[in-house]
Amino acid sequence: MKKIFLLTLLLVTQQATAQNRIASLNLCLDQILLNWLPPQKIASVTWLSADDHYRKAPLPKHVYLNRGRAEELLRLDPDLILVGQFGAQRAAARLRNLGFNVVAIPDAYSLEQLLDQLSALEKTLGHNAPLEKQKRRLEKLLVQPVPRARASALILSANNITYGSGMLEHQLLERAGFANLAAKQGVEQLGRVSLEEVVAAQPDLLVLYGGEKDFAIAHLAARHPVLKNYIDSGRVYTLPAELGFCPALVAADVLQQLTEKRKSLVEQR
Amino acid sequence: MSSSDKLALTLLLLALPLALVAALVSGPVSIDLGAALTQGWRSESSDAVILWQLRLPRALLAILVGAALGMGGAAMQGMLRNPLAEPALLGVSSGAALAAILLLYYGSALQASWGSAWQSGWLLPALAIAGAFSAVGCVWLLAGRGAGAGQLVLAGVAINAFLSALMALALNYAPSLFAMQEIVFWLLGSLANRGWDQLLLALPFVLLGAILLFSARNYLRALSLGEDSAASLGYRGRRYPLSILLGIAAAVGAAVAVAGTIGFIGLVVPHLMRPLVGQDPGRLLWTSALAGALLLLLADILVVNFVGAQELRIGAVTAFIGAPFFFWLIVSARRGQQL
Repeated sequence: MKKIFLLTLLLVTQQATAQNRIASLNLCLDQILLNWLPPQKIASVTWLSADDHYRKAPLPKHVYLNRGRAEELLRLDPDLILVGQFGAQRAAARLRNLGFNVVAIPDAYSLEQLLDQLSALEKTLGHNAPLEKQKRRLEKLLVQPVPRARASALILSANNITYGSGMLEHQLLERAGFANLAAKQGVEQLGRVSLEEVVAAQPDLLVLYGGEKDFAIAHLAARHPVLKNYIDSGRVYTLPAELGFCPALVAADVLQQLTEKRKSLVEQR
Repeated sequence: MSSSDKLALTLLLLALPLALVAALVSGPVSIDLGAALTQGWRSESSDAVILWQLRLPRALLAILVGAALGMGGAAMQGMLRNPLAEPALLGVSSGAALAAILLLYYGSALQASWGSAWQSGWLLPALAIAGAFSAVGCVWLLAGRGAGAGQLVLAGVAINAFLSALMALALNYAPSLFAMQEIVFWLLGSLANRGWDQLLLALPFVLLGAILLFSARNYLRALSLGEDSAASLGYRGRRYPLSILLGIAAAVGAAVAVAGTIGFIGLVVPHLMRPLVGQDPGRLLWTSALAGALLLLLADILVVNFVGAQELRIGAVTAFIGAPFFFWLIVSARRGQQL
């Protein structure tokens, strides 16, 4: 029995290390590959990853930018194709039928799903130091007890969107010891919050969603002079844009920063 | 002007402050209006901030933009002597909209050199106003020397179609889904999240436009007798039509720049007001400004009180009001009444 186990383990590790040409059909998985894998192992990422808005890590020259079509990847002959839960499903099915090693990695919309996603990646990619480090860090943060001295927070994103219960952003706020005012007002998933409601709710921390540096009508609310008080007194935290499309990269950082922010807010009182 | 018309105008005049009060009390948060008023402008209580920094500038902007659109529509219908004319006809709105779309589209290229202006957010309105002036300038050049109403309309339609095509082209090449959504929202108009800065940006241009239009009111009166009669009364040359066009570009361009393109106000309001001022195109200017302001403010109150995942765009509300008015216009025309 032990022998069989060792043999299987050997096979699995061999499979994991044999993947020298990995392709991705999903924006988040693109980012994970670009950030955490040596460039020579990446064969292709989606065309969206060429946009600086989504990408922090450098894009190696040899990496092919695919548009989610089976024929593009067929030509590249990758050892492993990563695909998300949604999107490019037709191409994935076609490639699977053609005998390619296509692995679906679950999307993460909550902390629990995020840990599942990291486990699935670990299982598929084999030993990977940055990935393991990120997972350990997140697990360590999540076992810490939720702080007692609570402060209130409210998220104001583009187009006056706020995040209520059932969202990853909400979970991170609660874990960091903030009471999410939107969830308290009964917002589930996404809701709308007007500037008036922000002013009336008087949250201790105003949380903005970052990423878009350009001027946009969608961001007029965040630029309105009534929020100047918040910005001047440092009671603003900006969530990184990655949290919206690939939380695996930044969730641990965000949780740590939010926890520190809450501590300093409580001390100021 | 009959006494019933005077009464109707007086009621309109009285309705505006009432609507302003209604706008100040309506919103997602219920505030103590009396307390907020007495606390004053500088107070930091949330009720006072909501009243003075959010609701008041928004309501005043609705009044300003509505007045600009109503007045622009009245001037355009008077000058072109066409019941279907509206400010957008000569490309003012599309010129402003195209400039804004190009800024949103090619934004990042400009950002490096115009960083501070970009961040403060006034670059978009400033370019939109410039776009409105250029559109009118093109119409004027295309129509040529001594152009009558017919040539101006033709030139306007041509320029408008060209600008619309350019807008469609920009939409086709919109770099991201977010940009596409921005442009669509921009084209439907909105007063949400606007503050004193936008109001102060539009105000001088709207005032300049109003002065230009009011100074040309006697030309509009003479023009109602026909172009030849107006010329025989001394209104010849290009000075008068040019001042009207520049007035419309300044007022409507500024309105479009801060609130996006809001349709139908400029078209509908002059028709509603014309019987009340005895068909006088001069007096129609200020009554249309008044009624336009009232109509847009009422539409905005509707928008603020509308519950939905996204705020209803005010351009959609005015179109909802405007389209049935068109049906009524067609039905009355069929009954043989004058438009």
